[in-house]
Amino acid sequence: MASLPPANDSPSVDPTAKVAPDLATLRHRLASGTGRRFWRSLEDLAESDDFRRFVEAEFPAALELSETSRRNFLRLMAAPMMLGGLAACGDMPDEKALPYINQPEILVPGKALYFATATLFEGYAQPVLAETHVGRPTKLEGNPDHPMAGAGTTDAFAQAAVLELYDPDRSRAITFLGRIATWDAFQGVTVGLRDRLRENKGGDLRILIDTVTSPTLRRQLDDLRAAFPQARLHHFEPVGAALRHQGTLRAFGRPLDVHYRLENAAVIVSLEDDIFGPGPSQVRHAAQWSQRRRDHQQDGDLTRLHVAESTPTLTGALAGTTLNAASQRMPVLLANLAGSLGVGEGNTAEAALTQGEQAWVRTAAGELAAHRGIGLLALGAHLPADAQALAHRVNHALGNAGVTVVYSEPVGLAATDEASALLALAEAMAAGEVETLVVLGANPVYTAPADLDFANRMDRVSLRIHAGLYYDETASHCHWHIPLTHPLESWSDARAVDGTASMLQPTVKPLFGGKSVHEVVATLLGQLNATAYDLLRETWDACLGGDEKAWRQVLNDGFVADSVAQTEAPAPQGAAAEVSLAIGVPASGEASGLEAIFRPDPCVWDGRFSNLAWLQELPKPLTKLTWDNVLAISARLAEGLDLGAGDEAELTVKGRSVRGPVWILPGQAERTITVFLGYGRSRAGRVGDGAGFNGYAVRTSAEPWAVPGAALRRTGKRLRLATTQNHATMDGGDFVRTMSVTEARAAHPDEPLAPTFYPQWEYPKYAWAMSIDLDLCIGCNACVVACQAENNIPVVGKEQVEAGREMHWIRVDRYYEGGLDRPDRTLFQPLPCMHCEQAPCEVGCPVNATVHGPEGLNQMVYNRCVGTRTCASYCPYKVRRFNFFEYAATDSPLLQAQRNPNVTVRARGVMEKCTYCVQRISAARIEAQKEGRPIRDGEVVTACQSACPTQAIVFGNQADPDSGVSRRQQSPRQYTLLRELNTRPRTTYQARILDKASDGEA
Amino acid sequence: MADERAINPQAPAQTVPLQPYASVSDQIAMIPLHYPLRRRWLIGLGISALFTGLLVVAIGYLFYAGVGIWGINSPVFWGLAIANYVWWIGLGNAGTLISALLLLLSQQWRNSLNRFAEAMTLFAVFCAALFPIIHLGRPWFFYWLLPYPNVMALWPQFRSPLVWDVFANVIYLLVSIIFFYIGLIPDLATVRDKARGRVGQVFFGVLSLGWRGSAAHWQRWRRTYRFCAALAVPLVVSVHSGVAMLFSVGQLAGWQTTIFPPYFVMGAMFSGFGVVAMIAVVLRSTFRLDSLVTIRHLDLLGKVLLASGLMTSYGYIMDAFTAWYSGDPFERATLFDRFGGAYAWSYWAAVILNFVVIQGLWFGAVRRDPMWLFFIGASVMIGMWFERYMLVVTTLYHDFLPSSWGWYVATFWDWALLAGTIGLFFFLFLLFVRFLPMISIFEVKEVLREERVEARHAPSR
Repeated sequence: MASLPPANDSPSVDPTAKVAPDLATLRHRLASGTGRRFWRSLEDLAESDDFRRFVEAEFPAALELSETSRRNFLRLMAAPMMLGGLAACGDMPDEKALPYINQPEILVPGKALYFATATLFEGYAQPVLAETHVGRPTKLEGNPDHPMAGAGTTDAFAQAAVLELYDPDRSRAITFLGRIATWDAFQGVTVGLRDRLRENKGGDLRILIDTVTSPTLRRQLDDLRAAFPQARLHHFEPVGAALRHQGTLRAFGRPLDVHYRLENAAVIVSLEDDIFGPGPSQVRHAAQWSQRRRDHQQDGDLTRLHVAESTPTLTGALAGTTLNAASQRMPVLLANLAGSLGVGEGNTAEAALTQGEQAWVRTAAGELAAHRGIGLLALGAHLPADAQALAHRVNHALGNAGVTVVYSEPVGLAATDEASALLALAEAMAAGEVETLVVLGANPVYTAPADLDFANRMDRVSLRIHAGLYYDETASHCHWHIPLTHPLESWSDARAVDGTASMLQPTVKPLFGGKSVHEVVATLLGQLNATAYDLLRETWDACLGGDEKAWRQVLNDGFVADSVAQTEAPAPQGAAAEVSLAIGVPASGEASGLEAIFRPDPCVWDGRFSNLAWLQELPKPLTKLTWDNVLAISARLAEGLDLGAGDEAELTVKGRSVRGPVWILPGQAERTITVFLGYGRSRAGRVGDGAGFNGYAVRTSAEPWAVPGAALRRTGKRLRLATTQNHATMDGGDFVRTMSVTEARAAHPDEPLAPTFYPQWEYPKYAWAMSIDLDLCIGCNACVVACQAENNIPVVGKEQVEAGREMHWIRVDRYYEGGLDRPDRTLFQPLPCMHCEQAPCEVGCPVNATVHGPEGLNQMVYNRCVGTRTCASYCPYKVRRFNFFEYAATDSPLLQAQRNPNVTVRARGVMEKCTYCVQRISAARIEAQKEGRPIRDGEVVTACQSACPTQAIVFGNQADPDSGVSRRQQSPRQYTLLRELNTRPRTTYQARILDKASDGEA
Repeated sequence: MADERAINPQAPAQTVPLQPYASVSDQIAMIPLHYPLRRRWLIGLGISALFTGLLVVAIGYLFYAGVGIWGINSPVFWGLAIANYVWWIGLGNAGTLISALLLLLSQQWRNSLNRFAEAMTLFAVFCAALFPIIHLGRPWFFYWLLPYPNVMALWPQFRSPLVWDVFANVIYLLVSIIFFYIGLIPDLATVRDKARGRVGQVFFGVLSLGWRGSAAHWQRWRRTYRFCAALAVPLVVSVHSGVAMLFSVGQLAGWQTTIFPPYFVMGAMFSGFGVVAMIAVVLRSTFRLDSLVTIRHLDLLGKVLLASGLMTSYGYIMDAFTAWYSGDPFERATLFDRFGGAYAWSYWAAVILNFVVIQGLWFGAVRRDPMWLFFIGASVMIGMWFERYMLVVTTLYHDFLPSSWGWYVATFWDWALLAGTIGLFFFLFLLFVRFLPMISIFEVKEVLREERVEARHAPSR
């Protein structure tokens, strides 16, 4: 903080002349303390005479401290808020909290209430139903009524959003120069600021914001532009899809969003487009693909996927044929592909391709040509705009446009012109043209490319205002920091990737005070008393015509009906020949330095989720690493440089270097190094600080995705990495079964069960079972986080994961088949408890702590468990998890508020494992008994099942022959894991169907 | 004696050299009353007390922090603690077996060995009994494994080998104590009679339960003693069979095999005899008891050690053979993992120390050399520890699904428990040596008497 220059034009502020309380000490105490203690300290502070004197001296205009800053957590949970949310009667003043005399009809203790709302990811709404218990949001489910494909499911990020809400490291106070200030004081500053801006029409005002899809915020930003026409808006998304808009700009003359319609695609050729990988569209793509796959599993006409990629992705893992090539080879490959399809002939030069590349291009082109109108050529959003444009032309020429790919006006606020890019802002700051910088949500000090020298340039701005969820790297470089409210605690709106306007309504009163981004922008506009709710209503009253009933319907649904983006399939402009793809990248193998590519981390993304322990401990889909990022390299390169997994290496790119552990990734292009972003943060919070290394340090604004001429050097140090799966192959087993299309159609009668000495169990009514279709699993991890959120599964930390003590109840095993350089197949297998009929664990337990339930569940009786660990030793599937330490106690009191009240929190020395979400079965049983009927099929949905975007997981009653799970079990692909052990599991699998191409049938 | 010679035709004629009865009493009973090696004893006791202290600290920290302080993880949910438990309980097998089985078979040579072998058993079982309790995730609920009456009407789960183990262990410990104590009574009376100080007189007087050596006493005593012996012998088998079931009831490759119970019992006897041989050699030389624990005793111990070692080796071979012959890929994978996997050192250490080294015992010169016997006994003891470690770890670290394969590295606290229980064992044994007659006085006299009678009737010698 000391390095900050005084903010010279903030009115009436002189940082040196103050009677400051010992804030440094307080900060320190707060930083190390738990949530409850923190709060108390804040109250102490707010009431101390020191503080009052400080405020008086600093801000004569803000003598009265806002009452809101003293709310305590319990009062925030007060139920009136929820009722307020439901009845849409707005922000109720927080007055005296009294217990109910008459219980409101809607509020039944022990009964969950659900609110249709949304969380945000890269600015896009992820529609959710928030489950709340007595005013505490505990779990998010997809919103099945939402029109977006897959909206009824979620990805891992959406599941973790509820943890973000309770994150005790979220910023809790408005600060000025690092000291606690007040909202009124900030508003006071904006009064003076506005006067000045009005004079110069906002000429020196810059606003930096990440992707904006909120109609209300767009309206406000329009207002801001109208008020200060010279003010400039900059957009920056460290990962984002900005190049995609440039591609459509070149192809169609205007920026457009690209929407895939995978449900129509029989063939997908992807050049580095991680369609099924993490990202705002993951759920949508997965659902579309799964829909077609499920329809055609019987007839064998499955979507065929051909992927060329430099670094393995989930899309590549699904593909029948993959090609490993440097990222910079992609334009050449595309040009050849397009050329052989008759688009832009000038670019064809097959001779420039290696043999493997030629073969792949020929196969891909042949498939696309054979499937005109039902094929899709997908191009990575990070590939050059010219290449993107060419791909659009190919899709148009083949008649795919309009069927498998459609376009719409950008859902988010697009940043296609260079003037609104981050680069322009950095240059303007360097030139001293920026007097006032308002950063809304973004964290450019951490995420900006290294060549922009953003932090130093930003320090030259006289007034820097930051609004964000965390007091992050950028906040620490700003004069003012305003804590923003979390999407789950604020009124707002946003559009989902398909354009559907989704409504965000608070599920709890802001835990740490905090301001909505709408309120911050309104303040800049001079609307000092505007609330987020009023601003939101203003937007939507205009659309809905002030119809209260319609508004209530919107809140009830969580989205505005029929607000999906209008799609179109415009014809490309100009001739394809204009596109130049003469990028002279030599074919792989030649010595021309290495290629460094940058990818978001699959778990913490660009770093925004760094402080979410669930995501940090989530094994990354392909590496199964936790708590770290790595430099992923190929086995060949590792051999050449004498590097092993975990060896530290120094990556030098264009004079900048960074050190990190290497990891050998099967399927990595030979001379490509993948740098995963999102780690090495200094101000993420207690969870994220210090984990991994900062990949942004070698990223440049000119080449943010792939840079040639990188060098890798072994430092000799070894770093410790925590992986949850040490062994990558099946070692000759058939744990993940694969079948050809023909095999999948033939019935495979099960061999008779081996005899057993134990009596058979009788299940007169219910016999719960789960079925997991490995043909649909894309390895996305959503189930793992959903289970963690539902079942109060503790996070154990890197050291414990390293020791092999992670606690996930469901894990996704990843196996490779084939060579290390280019595995033939990457297979995923979600593995919850098998709930065996003849369970080895039940035999082992000496105290009856794990017993067979009357409906076939293998049940854990936590309070009976003495911790002999016999059950886990005997378990052939090793799905049992043991509390080696008091893991659950490490959660701060605030995080404890997230816990599901219907699931026991396990103590030290107790075994635990997947329960098939027994609490959900109980809830369904209670409902059914009240209505005097049996539990219906589909009424019990486990957490993993409800999150799964491809519906790979089905749960139900196998005693009912018509239930979904019974029907699944009739599949010819049905098999039992480790059947030879005669454990007779209730969890069964369906084999993965291999692509025709790899089947030899093509 | 005729019987004995029929079994051991090569055996020297006399188990104990002819000597006055009084000298036997004096040699043995005077050790507790006038301990000859106070300084060395105190040093030994001090060192073992230090290790016992380490045990107390290790257990204290364990109870405070949880079993996470050990190296165990998923999949190796059991580690050193279970290996140590099996090892200790194995050592604890030999004493009762020597004492009770040989008593029933009227093998008189046991009379010089049985007392300290029984004591060794007691202390080893005591060390072993610590592990099932401290090994628990929630040790304060250990009594839930017992069938005690409670308002919830909850019983242990009787299919669990852990429950059988609890029963077998508790009964074995109780019977071993009773057997040991009953065998001690006549000698306690002897020491009482020889005691000069008031403290010794009262102490040994109370312990000897008013033994006067009347014929009625002897008659009842003998009946009780043989009855207890008859009880103890099957328990020796059941206790280690129970331990074996702990593994073989699980479905894991390398554990689920029917040979385990006899294999474990043999291994237990084997390791126990190894320790008895070591103790015999040490006590013999330390207290100059050559006339009571003779070369012939050592020779016999060597033979028993060789025989039980070969039976254990048969177990090794059959275990490996059935794993291979079964054709089961998991069984085979575990077998090959033992031969060449990450923990192959534990397998080969066990094979070398338990099988190769004992081949020396084929030679009478080796058997009769106290030093050699001591080292072979030590080799067996260490080798059996490696075997236990190998059995626990090699099966668990690579089980069925490669995705859950892991590693096991014992931590300081794991080793502290092993070192601590060894310290505790020595601590207790040193107290025993100091305060109780370490060799059965009256039984040696009995042997002596029979030999005298025989000497009288066999003028040829």
